[in-house]
Amino acid sequence: MRSDAGKGSRFFGPPAQTARLMIYGLVAVVLMAMDYRGGFVSQVRKTVERAAEPVYHVVEWPVRATRGVIDQFRSRHSLRMENEALQQQILLQQAELQRLETLSRENERLRALFEGAQTLAFQYRFAELVRVELDPFSHRVLIDRGSADGVVEGQAVIDGAGVMGQVESVYLHFSSVRLISDPNHALPVQFSRTGLRTVAFGFGETGALDLPNVPLQADVREGDLVVTSGLGERFPGGYPVARVASIVREEGQTFAQVLAQPLAALDRGREVLLIAPLEAAAEEPPGSPSESRPDVPPEPEAEVNP
Amino acid sequence: MNVRLPTGIRRDRRSVIAVTLLVALLLSLLPLPSWLQAIWPYWVALVLVYWCLETQGVITVGLAFTCGILLDLFTGSLLGQHALSLVIIIYLVDRFRARLRFFPPWQQLVILLALLVNDRVIQLWIITLSGDPLPSLDFWLPPIAGTLLWPWLFIVLDRYRGAMRRRSAS
Repeated sequence: MRSDAGKGSRFFGPPAQTARLMIYGLVAVVLMAMDYRGGFVSQVRKTVERAAEPVYHVVEWPVRATRGVIDQFRSRHSLRMENEALQQQILLQQAELQRLETLSRENERLRALFEGAQTLAFQYRFAELVRVELDPFSHRVLIDRGSADGVVEGQAVIDGAGVMGQVESVYLHFSSVRLISDPNHALPVQFSRTGLRTVAFGFGETGALDLPNVPLQADVREGDLVVTSGLGERFPGGYPVARVASIVREEGQTFAQVLAQPLAALDRGREVLLIAPLEAAAEEPPGSPSESRPDVPPEPEAEVNP
Repeated sequence: MNVRLPTGIRRDRRSVIAVTLLVALLLSLLPLPSWLQAIWPYWVALVLVYWCLETQGVITVGLAFTCGILLDLFTGSLLGQHALSLVIIIYLVDRFRARLRFFPPWQQLVILLALLVNDRVIQLWIITLSGDPLPSLDFWLPPIAGTLLWPWLFIVLDRYRGAMRRRSAS
C-alpha cells in the first residue's frame, strides 16, 4: 500500500510530522511576537529585506516599461495641452508664492525681534511610489529613492496635500515608508485654528486618524485643519495632516473622541516629496540674527538723538 | 523504501517546482488595480498545495515555512504570519494527501475552500492581535477566487509539468 506508506514513513511517521508542525508553528509565532515588539528580529529583518530589492526591481519593471511605452505614444496635442495647463498652474502658484515670500520675510523679522527660534529652510526631494503590492495590513509603501539618493531613516514624507508618513528603512534604490495610518504610528500635531496640541494616532484605516487626547471642552470643530506641530523632531512643523471629520463628546468622559481624515492620498497617491532640512540652513541661523541685531539697536538711538 | 523515481526526473522536478513557486511569489507582489487586489488569490498557497498533492516528500512543512518567511519579507507583513499560515495548510494537505488525491474534483474544491477559509481565519487572528481593526468583508473574497481558479491552475501546472518532463525525457 503505497498510500499508507506515504502517510508518514517517508521520514519518521505521523507523530514526527505533527511535531514538525508544532515546532515550525511555534517558531513562526515567536518570530511574529518578536517582530511586533520591534527588537532584534526587526533589525535582522531590515537587513535581510535588502535582499528583496532585486525582486522589487523585477516586479516593477513591466509596469515601468508599459508606462514608458504609453508615454512614447502620447500625442503631441495632448502633451501641449498638458504643458499649457501646467504653465498656467505655475503662474498662479508663483503669484501665491510672491505673497507668501513677503509674509515669510515679515514673519522672520518678527521672530528675530522676539529672538525666537529660527525657522529652518527645507529641501524637497521628489520621489515616486514603487508599484509593488505590499501586505495591505502592513501600512507601508515603497518609494523609488534609497540610500544612493541620500535618503535617511526617519525622514518625513509628504504628498501635495499633506503628510504621508516617515521613512522606515532605506535600501539602495528603494526605501519603505511607514504611513501615518499605521496603528503603531503617532504624530505630534496641533489644530491650526486654536493652536491646541495633541497627538494623532493611526489605527489601521487609511481614511482616518484618531486624536484621543483632546479635552472635552476644547474648542474643536468639524473641518478644522490639523497640522504637524514640529514636536518630536521627526516632522517639521506646519505641514497639513488632516481635517477633523467627527467629534463625539460624551458626558462623563475626560476626552472627546475626535476623528480626522488625512489629507494625503495614503492609499492612492503616486508622487511624494521627501523633506530634508537644508544643510545650508544650519549655517543660516547664526547669520540672520547677526543681520537683524544691528537693525534693532539703531532704532532706539534714532529716537534718542532728536 | 518507497519506489523512487529515477534521479534525473526528480531533479528536474525540483527546478520546475522552484520556478512555479517563484512565479507565485512574484504574482503576489504584482501591482494591481484595487478591485483585483481585493480578490487576488493566495498564489503561493495554491501552488504549494498543487505540488504537495502531486509529488511526494518534496513539499515539506519546512519548505512551506521558508516560502512563508520569504513572502513575509517581500510583502512586509509581520514576520512569520505567512509562514504560520502556509505551514498549517501544507501540514493538513500532507496529512490527508492520500485521501485528497482520490477525491472527485468537486469534493477537492470544497476541501480547498475550507483550507483557504481556515487560513483566512488564522490570518485574521494575527491581524487583530497585532492591533489592526477588523478588515472589511472583501477580506473573505480571495479564498473564493482561489477556489474558482483552482481547476485552471491545476490544468496549467499539469501541462507545464508534462512539457518539462517530456523535455527532460527526450
